[in-house]
Amino acid sequence: MSEGGSGKWVVGSGNGQGRVQGMTTLPASTPRRVRRPSNLLPMLAVAVFAALIYWPVMLFANQGAAQKALDSGADLGCKTALACATQLRNPVIPAPGQFWVGMRSLSAQPFSATAAPYNALVTGGETLLGLGLAVVVGLALATLLVRSRSFERATLPWLVASQTVPVVALAPMLAVLLGQAGVQGFLPKALIAAYIAFFPVTIGMAQGLRSPDPLQRDLMQTYRASGPQTFLLLQLPASLPYLFTSLKVAATAALVGSIVAEISTISFSGLGKMLAENSRASDTVALWVIMVYGAALGIALVALIGLLERAVTRWRPVA
Amino acid sequence: MTHSLLPTSHSPPHSGPPIVSVRDLGMIFPVPGGQTVALQDANLEIMPGEFISLIGPSGCGKTTLLRLMADLISPTSGQLTVNGGTPRQAREARSYGYVFQAPALMEWRNVLGNVRLPLDVMNTPKDSRAARAREMLRLVGLEKFERSYPWQLSGGMQQRVSIARALAPGPALLFMDEPFGALDEITRENLNLELLRLWRETGKTVVFVTHSISEAVFLSSRVVVMTARPGKIEGIVNIDLPQPRGEESREDPRFFQYATEIRELLRRGHE
Repeated sequence: MSEGGSGKWVVGSGNGQGRVQGMTTLPASTPRRVRRPSNLLPMLAVAVFAALIYWPVMLFANQGAAQKALDSGADLGCKTALACATQLRNPVIPAPGQFWVGMRSLSAQPFSATAAPYNALVTGGETLLGLGLAVVVGLALATLLVRSRSFERATLPWLVASQTVPVVALAPMLAVLLGQAGVQGFLPKALIAAYIAFFPVTIGMAQGLRSPDPLQRDLMQTYRASGPQTFLLLQLPASLPYLFTSLKVAATAALVGSIVAEISTISFSGLGKMLAENSRASDTVALWVIMVYGAALGIALVALIGLLERAVTRWRPVA
Repeated sequence: MTHSLLPTSHSPPHSGPPIVSVRDLGMIFPVPGGQTVALQDANLEIMPGEFISLIGPSGCGKTTLLRLMADLISPTSGQLTVNGGTPRQAREARSYGYVFQAPALMEWRNVLGNVRLPLDVMNTPKDSRAARAREMLRLVGLEKFERSYPWQLSGGMQQRVSIARALAPGPALLFMDEPFGALDEITRENLNLELLRLWRETGKTVVFVTHSISEAVFLSSRVVVMTARPGKIEGIVNIDLPQPRGEESREDPRFFQYATEIRELLRRGHE
């Protein structure tokens, strides 16, 4: 075969599609990497807005409790309900100063057993392990669902039903059962997280494995590709974007699952265990601090999955 | 069923046994509340090295005929041999390359990876795959884009990648299903010219589906004119324009005569 005349192929000859423009100047290299605008500024804007409305909302929320305390003759060292709203021992919403003090006391020694950062790491670890298990189970189930219509008909209703069982009901039972087998602590929570996360992963992956278009399937057929080849070379890579989308959905649900599991079973660490303790002690300031840690943990998990997504699906244009 | 206004020889350009033989071929698709006759009593012999176009309105069964040859569907009646055996045997021997209406590239593979795909599936010697894929990319003039991803290419470039991919395993037969249908006129004419060069240089047999009369006349050694409802072959026109053809072939008075002949066949089928 000759390569003669190949120059006659006109590069992007007036095809009318925008991306053709400048194709000739694009280096023959990896896809163009547009620097992604940071999330930081928009996030800060929301924080400023929240700070602005925080003060009046806090005063309004605490006023009732302050009035009640004054009426009962408690000595709060303040005269009016409005003035006392920032002084309550167990405020509905803590004043910024109160929150700050609570934050410092729970974060001062970050890796002590009672500190929020340590417990957040425990909860995060449980959630990540749960997500890992969910990917394994979800991929296996999705593969079976896509392979066999009868398997889908037989199992899909049960998969849906599995998600209607409340975690608070399931967690203690699982803890008892696993406890009888001598498994305690970390693993039951991870299993609860996996139980919640496997469903969106299964549905997402099944969609992804079905996503290649008919022509791509025909193409594999013209190559006499085997089933495993079609799976590995076509279906699996095509499903990866779906996997990460469903993982992001699953991550926050799984985090809530781990926390609820920690609350509703015997736990020695984790954000859920801290929530349970502090709610028994009516320490609302601590509860708020733990909630903020939980939110930060959720953001971190989703961000981690986003990083993983960029690393694995490098072929995709930067959105 | 051969029609020609011109005193031409009707013998195909190459001798030997036909590479594709179609006998009384029929294809009926079930549809809700009945059936559609997609192809009826089709007869055709394609000789090695020919460039055959199948032309006709949508619904005339030209894509069906091509998919039957490629064993992507099975006929409901008649006989069909491809490369001396059944279409199934031809597919399993990987004896043809197929270019689809859309490029159907794997968006997670770069250009080189896409051209390498059939070699990966067919498990050819690993160390020669990249070299072979590069050779094919040179053939279609895309060697500078081997590391680009499909979304970075124009529609015409994507279709050239898919042609390089079809050529990579070196099949003797090339099935092309309206490969340039989605492209603009200018791009299409350029690609036509390049396809003719590829055909001349590689000596492959090409079966090409199109709905453009001028594309069919320009490219083909024979044009199979098909009509719809039921899909059948209305006539076959020999195109005796001299080879190698170039842009000037489009100005040849015979070019217009052939185009008129095809148009009349199409119209006759329509009445």
